[in-house]
Amino acid sequence: MFPKNPVSRRAMLGRSAVGFGSLALASMLADETRANTPNVAPLAPKLPHFAARAKRVIFLFMCGGPSQVDTFDPKPLLTRDDGKPFPHAKPRVQFAATNNLLKSPWEFKQHGESGLWVSDLFPHVAKQVDNLCMINSMHGTNPAHGGAMMKLHTGSDNFVRPSIGSWLSYGLGTDNSNLPGYLTICPTLGHGGVTNWGSAFLPAVYQGTPLGNASVPSDKAKVSYINNSNLSRDIQRMQLDRLYAMNRQHQAQAGQEASLEARINSFELAFRMQTEMPQLEDLSNESQATLSLYGMDNPTTANFGRMCLMARRFSEAGVRFVQVTHSDSNVQWDQHSNLKEGHEKNAREVDQPIAALLYDLKARGLLEDTLVWWGSEFGRTPVAEGKNGRDHNPEGFTMWLAGGGVKAGFRYGSTDEYGYYATEDKVHIHDLHATILHLMGIDHERLTYPYAGRNFRLTDVEGNVVDKIIA
Amino acid sequence: MMIGLLLWTLLASGEPAPSELPQPMAAGAVEKAAEEPKPTAEQLQFFENRVRPILVEHCQKCHGEKKSQASLRLDSREGVMRGGDQGPVIIAGKPAESELIRAVRYEDADLKMPPEAKLKDEQIADLTKWVEMGAPFPATAKSNPRTRDPNHWSFQPPANVAVPTVKDAAWARSPIDNFILSKLEANGQVPTAQADKRTLLRRATFDLTGLPPTPQEVADFLADEQPNAFARVVERLLASPAYGERWGRHWLDVARYADSNGLDENVAFGTAWRYRDYVVEAFNKDKPYDQFLAEQLAGDLLKATDDNQRHEQLIATGFLALGPKVLAEVDEAKMHMDIVDEQIDTFGRAVLGLTLGCARCHDHKFDPIQAADYYGFAGIFKSTRAMENYKKLARWYENRLESPAALAAEAGQAALVASKKQAVDALVAKADETAKQTLPADSKPPEKLESLYPDETKMELKRLRDELAKVQATAPEFPTAIGVTEAEVADEAIRLRGNPLKLGDVVPRHVPPVVKGPETPQFTAKESGRRELVAWLTDPRHPLTSRVMVNRVWRWHFGKGLVRTTDNFGLLGEAPSHPELLDWLARRFVADDWSLKSLHRLIMNSSVYQQGSQATPGLVAQDPENRWFGRADVRRMEAEVIRDTMLAVAGALDRTMGGTILAVKNRGYLFDHTSKDLTDYNSNRRSLYLPVIRNNRYDVFQLLDAPDATIPSGDRTTTTVASQALLMLNSDLVMKAAAGLAERLLSGSQTDAERMQQLYAIAYGRNASPEEVEANLAFLAGLEKSLTMREPDAAARQRQAWSVLSHVVLAANEFVYVK
Repeated sequence: MFPKNPVSRRAMLGRSAVGFGSLALASMLADETRANTPNVAPLAPKLPHFAARAKRVIFLFMCGGPSQVDTFDPKPLLTRDDGKPFPHAKPRVQFAATNNLLKSPWEFKQHGESGLWVSDLFPHVAKQVDNLCMINSMHGTNPAHGGAMMKLHTGSDNFVRPSIGSWLSYGLGTDNSNLPGYLTICPTLGHGGVTNWGSAFLPAVYQGTPLGNASVPSDKAKVSYINNSNLSRDIQRMQLDRLYAMNRQHQAQAGQEASLEARINSFELAFRMQTEMPQLEDLSNESQATLSLYGMDNPTTANFGRMCLMARRFSEAGVRFVQVTHSDSNVQWDQHSNLKEGHEKNAREVDQPIAALLYDLKARGLLEDTLVWWGSEFGRTPVAEGKNGRDHNPEGFTMWLAGGGVKAGFRYGSTDEYGYYATEDKVHIHDLHATILHLMGIDHERLTYPYAGRNFRLTDVEGNVVDKIIA
Repeated sequence: MMIGLLLWTLLASGEPAPSELPQPMAAGAVEKAAEEPKPTAEQLQFFENRVRPILVEHCQKCHGEKKSQASLRLDSREGVMRGGDQGPVIIAGKPAESELIRAVRYEDADLKMPPEAKLKDEQIADLTKWVEMGAPFPATAKSNPRTRDPNHWSFQPPANVAVPTVKDAAWARSPIDNFILSKLEANGQVPTAQADKRTLLRRATFDLTGLPPTPQEVADFLADEQPNAFARVVERLLASPAYGERWGRHWLDVARYADSNGLDENVAFGTAWRYRDYVVEAFNKDKPYDQFLAEQLAGDLLKATDDNQRHEQLIATGFLALGPKVLAEVDEAKMHMDIVDEQIDTFGRAVLGLTLGCARCHDHKFDPIQAADYYGFAGIFKSTRAMENYKKLARWYENRLESPAALAAEAGQAALVASKKQAVDALVAKADETAKQTLPADSKPPEKLESLYPDETKMELKRLRDELAKVQATAPEFPTAIGVTEAEVADEAIRLRGNPLKLGDVVPRHVPPVVKGPETPQFTAKESGRRELVAWLTDPRHPLTSRVMVNRVWRWHFGKGLVRTTDNFGLLGEAPSHPELLDWLARRFVADDWSLKSLHRLIMNSSVYQQGSQATPGLVAQDPENRWFGRADVRRMEAEVIRDTMLAVAGALDRTMGGTILAVKNRGYLFDHTSKDLTDYNSNRRSLYLPVIRNNRYDVFQLLDAPDATIPSGDRTTTTVASQALLMLNSDLVMKAAAGLAERLLSGSQTDAERMQQLYAIAYGRNASPEEVEANLAFLAGLEKSLTMREPDAAARQRQAWSVLSHVVLAANEFVYVK
């Protein structure tokens, strides 16, 4: 949408809502203000296009590509035909050379009232299965980590584009102005790195704020510049008061410029943020029961458990999009070899914390309007790489959603009889993006930003909302 | 494909093909175009009963009013007959040749329509019959909105315009003033009073050098009562090496300069700094812009009189090579075309102000640029080599910077290695001989005789091998520069829907015929065509090259362009606020031999540039966005300027020029999957010299709106957010600068009153008012009191208090805004 007269609209907003402006006005102007007033009140809450089913998203990103046929997509024929050649054509572009079919080392069982299948890798998540909406027919476009991660986070595997969290911050603003609208906990710096939480051509205010990175343990992961180790709080307060007086005097002489006022306010906001953020990072007021629930008393689960608990606390406090990345200083789930050992170690680290997050959100009544999204940049091949590994596979894999308006205890789509290609009710990454935006009350075709001569959107020219998974 | 060739021939003649480039359309034109053998009533009935339902149910969701994927609409006769991006989909009467029929028959693996499920056999039969009939479709009266206008202003050569006369002739110092003032006068407004000398000096110094004026420079300028005092300041600043550092950085924004690849595999562009230094030097030398462009696009093809010039020209081609690349791309064909695409897109936006990248998959939706034009450029860049190979991980190409000294060093190194190798071999040969003799005659010698050597020989061998390894490890690096060279010359085929595997017609290399003015270049089979491309771009009549650059320069001086969309002069770009001024400046720029320094003089010595920022409320109300330039805007400084200024006032700025401080060697990982970060921003050099690491920019710069460095950016945005305030309050950078500034004050002056004046002189270039002195002294006293309990040492307490005050001064708006 290209405004016919951006000048007067922007000017009007400038006059009526200088600095951190009025919520009502910002909402009234809806789409148009999104594109035209990024510098005036960029994070003011904005109205969705239609009633939202979810208010916030928690994305549990399993970096590296967990295998669908070993977790949530059981394939009896794969077990039967172990060691035989894959009877269909392999994809034109493959990441590595692969061999014959390799059966899963784990047993699958049905769980809960829904009877969804989960392998022995996820005993705790299996107990939450009636909350899950399992999509067995995901597919993507790129078989290398870098391209696939960028596709997953930004919708593009070859250009720098805004990430999904940035689009949501841009589209909806934030519900807690003392906090960033988009946080990413311990993200990986490889394979796209900042691009995966960056805002590209959207104003920088919409980019994700990282807490640490994948090589930092989660108890050391902090927002940068959030506190001052040299100056005490009372000295800082004195500074801010003096600063305020100096800025007011300067403003009177400088000439008309709206951002002068905005900058004066930004210091007060920063000071409040400086108070609120450490409170949220401090888990000491959580009960021992909660800490145990998340596995924080167990060295295997403590690190990821803390991330999940922090995600709940940030979501509860009004952060729009929280991403939690499970990746150590390797590409954690990337088992080109030693599938059994690798996947077992990985699953043990995340299983209990993930289940705890689902349980906790539900117990607090938050799951209803919080969309939990579990997934990775791709899945793995049902055929072996080497003797006991699996290669990257963007052709068919599994993700699941929970809460936030999706059907619970529901399974959607399927892969072929061996789990290589998505076949029925295929859901592309673009379709998932469109669906997540839809659940947040955003029409993915209308959330656009004019840049370099055209309107851009998260889903480019693709994406169909998967209506059938919406409750 | 005859149609493609025919279309091409029409385009090459310089005339747009009438059927392809939409003309301004008179009402009723559509009905006229549709005047063909009228369908019979029976045919129409067949269409309505059998065909329209199929189109509505299965096709129009994607090819209709709401969406028109591949630019194809199947909801009107015009749409059906016009076809999509790849041309007609129906050949009336010939179903077998009609793309639409082939698509519904699923004959082509890449084009199966509708995608979700094949139509029923009888539906396919109905469509086939309908095409056989000539595709009867009742006419509609809808017309398309006007886009792709070939008469768009920016495609016409700049007009030779007369300088307008103005009422207030005394105000006009420069022809620029006449243009600006005449518009203000036409709107019943007067410009704002000229800025005072301190403001002017501060503005000009930041503008040209990115650094604050020193207290001495302020005093000198205030004392200079001569009429040309400011003009001389401009000359002094233009002659300062800091000018090239400041304006070079502007160009680096446009060139999406970076020291790392970014994207998937973030490895070091370890020789990119040579391009950065080249740019700085080009600005300092006032290299004519036409030559500057020629070197960046075709430096490897240009004649050079000596090694230095040859190196400079090779280094300049880094412009085409510095883009981000998906180096682990498994699909080589895609990767090759992605790199070409990045070059076209960057070149298009940076030099032409056109979004050529839009035409990769289809004709440009808004500008009269066809997919064929895109592939006309693609032929030029595909015939240019930017990569050594495309194997995972792919390697980019680097030019060797040969010189007698470098070659001698290389030969010397080779000789040294050879001699060390020879020593090893000689010893082994001799020792083997000896060892064999010690073996019993009938025994089979072991594969390696080394184990039989006497200890002494073993040790000697180890010593020689260590020496060899050391010589090899400490080899001097042969100087190279990331850049391009020629590849096999070939014209490119259109990639249907941008799919690198789906080849359409081959189009000869050419430039878009819609761009009027310069002579149409003739491309040869001998060279890529970059030489011809440059000649076309720098033709004085080119409508875009000069306009785009003078507009950039205007933007960098004033904070917004005459065309505010600096990188888009197409139909979706903004129209110029002062079109005549833009044309006048463009022609003047060319007439001044494309000299940027002349352009700076012209602009800065104008009354427009020297206005104050405090406009009358009437003017602000009439022109809230200051599009008439009737006042100076109050602007926040760029990230680099803020950092450099902090270091400068703290007395910590290291003014060494050029070279690299990148800690990672060429092609090494800045960080791979381990998330271990090898970037290091700990340096007091000017910001320009800090490595630009894609995906991991220095967070100070990222927070303060430095561009992404993956896309050309001629118009940085400025945001104001709380995270920047946190940076100001808590970062090491600001804390250290404050401490350094406090140290300067405490060692420089004797009394607090003197120190206060010195603080304002250094940080703000002005005196502190009595009220300010009083308020700050009270603030210091309050601090002393608060600190007494914590810091018993009086001298340390004083340092802390002054540091806390300096911190406030650095965080204040006055420090980061220029009037």
